[in-house]
Amino acid sequence: MFLRSALFKGLLGQAVGTVIGVAFVWMLRILFGAAPAFPFDAHREPALVGGAVIGAISFMVFAGVFDDWFKWTRGESTPDHHEPDKDKPGWWRYFNVDYDHKIIGVQYGVTSLIVLGAGGILALLFRIELAQQGITFLNNEVFDLLFIGTEWYQHTSAADLYNTFMSLHGMVMIASILLGVGAMSNYLVPLMIGANDMAFPRLNAFAYWVNVPGALLLLSSLFLGGFDTGWTGYPPLSVRAPIGVQMFLLGVYLVGLSSIFGAINVIVTTLRLRAPGMTMFKMPIFVWAAFATAIIQLTATQLIGLSFQLVMFQRLLGMGFFDGTVGGNPILFQHLFWFYSHPAVYVFILPGLGVISELLPVFTRKPLFGYKWIALSSLGIALVGFFVWAHHMFTSGMTSYLRLPFMYSTLLVAVPTGVKFFSWAGTLWRGKIHLDTPMLFVLGSIVIFLLGGVSGPPNGTVATDLHLHDTYWVVGHFHDTMFGGYIFPLFAAIYYWFPKMSGKRLNEFWGKVHFWVMFPAFLVMTLGQMYVGLHGMRRRIADYDLGPVVENVQFWITIAAFVIFSSILIFLVNAYFTAKRGEVVEGNVWNSRSPEWQIPNPAPLHNYSKQFAVIGEPYDYGHGDEYVNMNPAPSPAGD
Amino acid sequence: MAAHAANYLTKTANNRLGLWLFILSDSFVFGGLLVTRFVLLGDQRPELSQGLGLAVTLILLLSSFFMNRGEVEMAHGNQKGFVRNTTITLALGIAFLIGVVGVEWPLAAAHGLTTDSSAAGAVFYIMTGFHAFHVLTGVFLMYVVLRLGRKGHFTAEKHWPVEAAAVYWHFIDVAWIFFYPALYLMGLVAG
Amino acid sequence: MNKKLLSIGEYVLVAALVVASTYFLGAKVLTNEFLLPMQASEQAVVIDELFGIHWWLIAFFFSLIVVFMLYSVFRSFIVHGLRPKREGFGEYMEGNARLEVVWTVVPLALVVWIAFLGADSLGKVERRYAGPVEINVIGTQWSWRFEYPTEEGVSVVSDKLYLPVDKPVVLHLQSTDVIHSFWVPEFRVKQDVLPGGEAFTRDLRITATEIGAYKVRCAELCGESHWSMQADVQVVSEAEYEAWLVQAGEDCGDEAVACGQRWATQFGCVSCHQAADGPIVPTTGPTWLELFGSVVSLDDGSTVTADETYILNSILDPNSQIHAGFRPDVMPKNFGELLTEEQINQIIEFIKSLGQ
Ligand code: HEA
Ligand code: HEA
Ligand code: HEC
Ligand code: CUA
Ligand SMILES: [Cu+2]
Repeated sequence: MFLRSALFKGLLGQAVGTVIGVAFVWMLRILFGAAPAFPFDAHREPALVGGAVIGAISFMVFAGVFDDWFKWTRGESTPDHHEPDKDKPGWWRYFNVDYDHKIIGVQYGVTSLIVLGAGGILALLFRIELAQQGITFLNNEVFDLLFIGTEWYQHTSAADLYNTFMSLHGMVMIASILLGVGAMSNYLVPLMIGANDMAFPRLNAFAYWVNVPGALLLLSSLFLGGFDTGWTGYPPLSVRAPIGVQMFLLGVYLVGLSSIFGAINVIVTTLRLRAPGMTMFKMPIFVWAAFATAIIQLTATQLIGLSFQLVMFQRLLGMGFFDGTVGGNPILFQHLFWFYSHPAVYVFILPGLGVISELLPVFTRKPLFGYKWIALSSLGIALVGFFVWAHHMFTSGMTSYLRLPFMYSTLLVAVPTGVKFFSWAGTLWRGKIHLDTPMLFVLGSIVIFLLGGVSGPPNGTVATDLHLHDTYWVVGHFHDTMFGGYIFPLFAAIYYWFPKMSGKRLNEFWGKVHFWVMFPAFLVMTLGQMYVGLHGMRRRIADYDLGPVVENVQFWITIAAFVIFSSILIFLVNAYFTAKRGEVVEGNVWNSRSPEWQIPNPAPLHNYSKQFAVIGEPYDYGHGDEYVNMNPAPSPAGD
Repeated sequence: MAAHAANYLTKTANNRLGLWLFILSDSFVFGGLLVTRFVLLGDQRPELSQGLGLAVTLILLLSSFFMNRGEVEMAHGNQKGFVRNTTITLALGIAFLIGVVGVEWPLAAAHGLTTDSSAAGAVFYIMTGFHAFHVLTGVFLMYVVLRLGRKGHFTAEKHWPVEAAAVYWHFIDVAWIFFYPALYLMGLVAG
Repeated sequence: MNKKLLSIGEYVLVAALVVASTYFLGAKVLTNEFLLPMQASEQAVVIDELFGIHWWLIAFFFSLIVVFMLYSVFRSFIVHGLRPKREGFGEYMEGNARLEVVWTVVPLALVVWIAFLGADSLGKVERRYAGPVEINVIGTQWSWRFEYPTEEGVSVVSDKLYLPVDKPVVLHLQSTDVIHSFWVPEFRVKQDVLPGGEAFTRDLRITATEIGAYKVRCAELCGESHWSMQADVQVVSEAEYEAWLVQAGEDCGDEAVACGQRWATQFGCVSCHQAADGPIVPTTGPTWLELFGSVVSLDDGSTVTADETYILNSILDPNSQIHAGFRPDVMPKNFGELLTEEQINQIIEFIKSLGQ
């Protein structure tokens, strides 16, 4: 059965396509005299890159993502929706190209968790290495056997392996976040605005599926020499790195495509498919967050794509974009890269902050404090975020006076972010607070994201950043922001909307255990990171010699990492047993005003059998009026 | 029936918004390439064949004119006119590609401007190459529309694919209007 | 009436808690003594002052939000119980335009003020003094080299950085391969070291204030052995500094082996090749111990005897013959330009002395 699913066909296609691609490019090069026939090793890079590209395209073709579009080019029309096949088991739709936004949302979500697991395990591996001074773990024979021993692998040392694990951890985690953001906006936006699907279901499916070959390419770099460049891939280092770096560049490129097309969908859906009466300022606040996120993804993503392409071409064709000796400039890459990658950090958090704002009123039973300000602050963060990228480059040697304007703009982001925090505090004030699991995660998010946020301004003022740049302080800063702004809200969202997805409610007890294990461990991890960073611990090093105090703290960071790992295992076990035989819950589990809770659990196939009308404010808890009228009088003909 | 037409209209409006968003997104790459060019080369430019540059530019501008004619004809329900004009556009598009990739590239290479010769070479090939890739996709789109149009797929009221192809084509044209001076006209030839 | 008093009392209580928590965090936890390594440069003093202000702001804003949050949860326990009923609501409040304006404008003002302080300290950190000591710093995967231009233009080359205390120094930073970054935590300041020639040379200004031993740590990921790209820094009195310059500038004499050892150290060979006695340890490049005269297997399967030609060739064109198990493109290819013929010959003599 599985053998006939789109996923399997796609994987098969990718394998076949890669082989054909390698052979094809290799033959072309022999024909044109660009490469000798033997040995293959000496000139394999262009062939492998060609193979990877063709493999990724083959995945999409074989999986059937393009089927409808091919039909369109032949002038055949296709139905808007493919009705699910009654004979097939329930899981079938999730392994196949489906156009329903809820299915796609879950596909995104599960993929995201799998990728999170991969990234987390990489983190554990290199954390063990850092637990004590000296190279003590990655020089283990097992790694020799798995990676260093293989012919394709050019690593010469444990230190190199460390760099690969660390770099891959960063990028894989970021891919996981992007997938998770896709999951949230796909699943929630149409439900919240009363649409039956996204505006472009096929594009939506494309945007999901392209991640699969993308993630595979990314991980395949492990077996092609890895890449020791960090997730930032700065040239000239990335130009000299092993071939694995090409797979990294390509993989990120595909994941980026997904961001761009996903964003088009979110924006059009939000602007055009809202229920009657739902003005922009009556949308659930999460939709605002998703919308602001999509604006960033739509535009900025292109530039990481471009910067990575340029590195790819510099490697393949000797184009000297970043080579100072032929008129290139290595700093140019950093500008292009950060023009995306700074705004991207707001992509990571805005949906999460949206979830926080969305859940707080439900669990405090009172209106969201200052709805409009929160909504606009998302846009504000997104817009200001476009003008701060060079704060990652204060020490880079770029034109030095430019550092001042970038310092101002960077610090400015504190203002709209502050508005969110103060409004959340206002929402909590005198609330009737229900500490269900989702709410615990929301409160945890606030504390941790606050820590991440307040550790931002010291990076932002240039003089202090001269000390902080590329130390573990920065590592602590961004784990706090990303956990507080994404991982914790993600879990809040999962605990909160799980009934909507499955009709069952996750076990509360184990949910609380999950939280109370993860939260303190996480504080230990990041506060420890900040501490060692200030004391001279550089980023991206396999070994350090900073004395017993730092070593001690490093040890506890590693322990904390394992505790975080166990807490996530608890969650997975909980989810598994809940899905099998959890408490079935009907209707409005959390007593929310939002439209998605006014329909049955799990959400029916076409969301809303009847278009609802918006008659009140989204978060007027305690005021009596409804937000939506699920049974409005039929509107006059036409519409 | 009325509902059906209304449905088509809303859908087309969605599609239109989607297409424009895509174009907005894509223009960031073109912008990024321009930035690359100005940062690396500043007031210098690669040595290129001026006559050829002017010629391909005119060809592309002309093609945009015919594309517009084609779309207008379709909007008036004139299938013949649509096919004629679009065919011309397609031919001009291919001529542009031949001019840039088939002639200008070897010419430049013969003058020593290769991908690995200098930053100027790198910039020249990436900009023209990236743009040519867009032209190629535009040509493909146009080919699809043309085939469907020949089969009588479009009417005066319903011809969104034609509009889409036209908008995309104009976008490519506008992008070249920025690229052309940046590569051929601005700055001094190095050396 | 009673209710109003209660409500005022509540605000006073929360405010007191915020103040207490800010004081505790700011005065007892977030202090420069606890958080930062020792101060050993003039620049560090300026930067630490700014850190001090940041710690207080962090203490305040963290306390503000967390105290409000915990207090609200606590109050809800008191008023509504630990497990409140699903029905019923909290106190109805939609927002407060005046408050919103306040908490937009106040942080805005703060931010502008901090940015001003930031600009001011940057100016002080980068202040130029007349007649500084000039030193060229060359970063190479994965070692540092320091050149001390003297009046005659002959430079002393060293793998250690010697700095006179209390004298302004300007370092001209250059890389031969990838981006590195110069950082001595005790001096605070950091600057990336760029490849690409003259146009990419960057300056860093430091005035060391404490005599002692420190380490330059490369702070930009630069490949395999980034972690070990460190060099010793000695801050010494001015007299000692002058004395050292003279001594280090002396000719190494005719002793070819001793000279070779000096060059191998100064030019960073020994950061990748083992040249010290003892058991053979894994290094980035092949060990030099017992190299000379041995039979080396190359990665294309052939073997070669490590004679003088082979070694010379390996230095001038490292990629031409790759020692099996090692990577091409790791060893810098420009030693032929950096070293004189004599120096190379002396290095070869030194390698020879380690063989057999
Ligand atoms: C997930 C997201 C995320 C978020 C939200 C942020 C938020 C911020 N970041 Fe961070 N950052 C990263 C992710 C994120 N960052 C990552 C991944 C890196 C490293 C990349 C790499 O090199 O690999 C990084 C690195 C980074 C640097 C470069 C450091 C270096 O390498 O030298 C800088 C420098 O300015 C910076 C600054 C800031 C600032 C000022 C904010 C602000 O947005 C924070 C604003 C929030 C607050 C300030 C708290 C709440 C506000 C109030 C309570 C109001 C009042 C406050 C004041 C008046 C101060 N970040
Ligand atoms: C979302 C982003 C994210 C997340 C969640 C994490 C999570 C963690 N990170 Fe990471 N980190 C980054 C993003 C992230 N990181 C980035 C961008 C970098 C920079 C890289 C660079 O410099 O280039 C970085 C770098 C980084 C460093 C610095 C490395 C260096 O500079 O040398 C360290 C060191 O301690 C670290 C540690 C950890 C640890 C211990 C966790 C732990 O919290 C992980 C815990 C999670 C798990 C262990 C997963 C558990 C999962 C399962 C149990 C599921 C398994 C099952 C399935 C398959 C479904 N990370
Ligand atoms: C960045 C690391 C690095 C530095 C610095 C470096 N080397 Fe090497 N060296 C290598 C590597 C890796 C190899 C093996 C690959 C090869 O054969 O080219 C090598 C090979 C050699 C060999 C051949 C030895 C053999 O067993 O085949 C000689 C001789 C040599 N280096 C001399 C030098 C000298 C002299 C210097 C300094 C002036 C130097 N190296 C600096 C990395 C380095
Ligand atoms: Cu040099 Cu890191
Ligand atoms: Cu940033």
